[in-house]
Amino acid sequence: MSAEKTPNLIDPIHQFVITNIADIKIGNIDISFTNSSQFMVIATMAIMFFFILGLSKKSIIPNRFQIMCELSYEFIADLLRTNVGDQGRAFFPFVFSLFMFIFFCNLIGLIPYTFTVTSHFAVTFAFAGLIFIGVTVLGFVKNGFGYLKMFYPSGVPIYMAPIIIPIEIISYLSRPVALSVRLMANMLAGHSIIKIFAGFIVMMGFFGVIPLAGLVAIYALETFIAFLQAYIFTILTCIYLNDALHPHH
Amino acid sequence: MPQEKIKLKNLEKRIDAAKDQIADKNSPNIKPSPLGQVMKLAVEIVAAMAIGIGIGLILDNYFDTRPLFTIIFFLLGSLAGILNVFRVAKSMQNN
Repeated sequence: MSAEKTPNLIDPIHQFVITNIADIKIGNIDISFTNSSQFMVIATMAIMFFFILGLSKKSIIPNRFQIMCELSYEFIADLLRTNVGDQGRAFFPFVFSLFMFIFFCNLIGLIPYTFTVTSHFAVTFAFAGLIFIGVTVLGFVKNGFGYLKMFYPSGVPIYMAPIIIPIEIISYLSRPVALSVRLMANMLAGHSIIKIFAGFIVMMGFFGVIPLAGLVAIYALETFIAFLQAYIFTILTCIYLNDALHPHH
Repeated sequence: MPQEKIKLKNLEKRIDAAKDQIADKNSPNIKPSPLGQVMKLAVEIVAAMAIGIGIGLILDNYFDTRPLFTIIFFLLGSLAGILNVFRVAKSMQNN
């Protein structure tokens, strides 16, 4: 969030601007190190730090950090077991890293003067698109061409097939878009609201106490949303994995 | 060896109880806010329509038949969106 005086005090979009930190170019492709990449690195470091700190002293009576680490492990393990079943265990490392990364990106974005990585469609769609491709490949590997039966639900009369099959395919293709837009829109909206309310505090002078109280409540809500969106992203990944592993429903 | 059998049975009972406990936890007790649920449905319908229109535009550009496929796939996309919303609403109801 910018502190310098801008002509327009409330500029809620300014916080999402991407700036280059180091210009790197390979041929015509711009792969500059931006503030977005910077905060991705910070999030990864934070996760590593969290687990190194928590699991360095493995004691039978765990301290608080160890409890947090173990809880996060159990949370995702439970999620996978209930949504995918025993076959899902092979995907635990992937789902766990996905959840932790999104969760930490969301949380770090709530600290003033930071950048929210997950508020950009490019980032969330990269996640969702990779998951979508991976899950589709997995479905074909595990089920062969039987996976295509998913687009033609059993019990549908044959003359309905020309309508049902395109609808099912579009519905399938819309999954990564819905997944990424949901995460991005929640982050974007939340941070814009926080910024706008912060602007009200300055503009209203003494009476700024009222929006300040509101801001505290919104911050609490945003912290919850940061977790909830990471959770929704993860649980939907689990559901798609389940569809790929056991397509007949 | 009746004592060992009793021990085994006890163990089985305890394992079953533990399994039941895990099964009870099946439904995660995190309830999304009503606003979040509305958002979920809205995104679902918009995404399907966007994909439908996208496919239509690509096909039209390819075959030079604008606006034939755009219209067809817009309608199919809307139907897919409604189908998605229906499915999500159904899963919400089950929870």
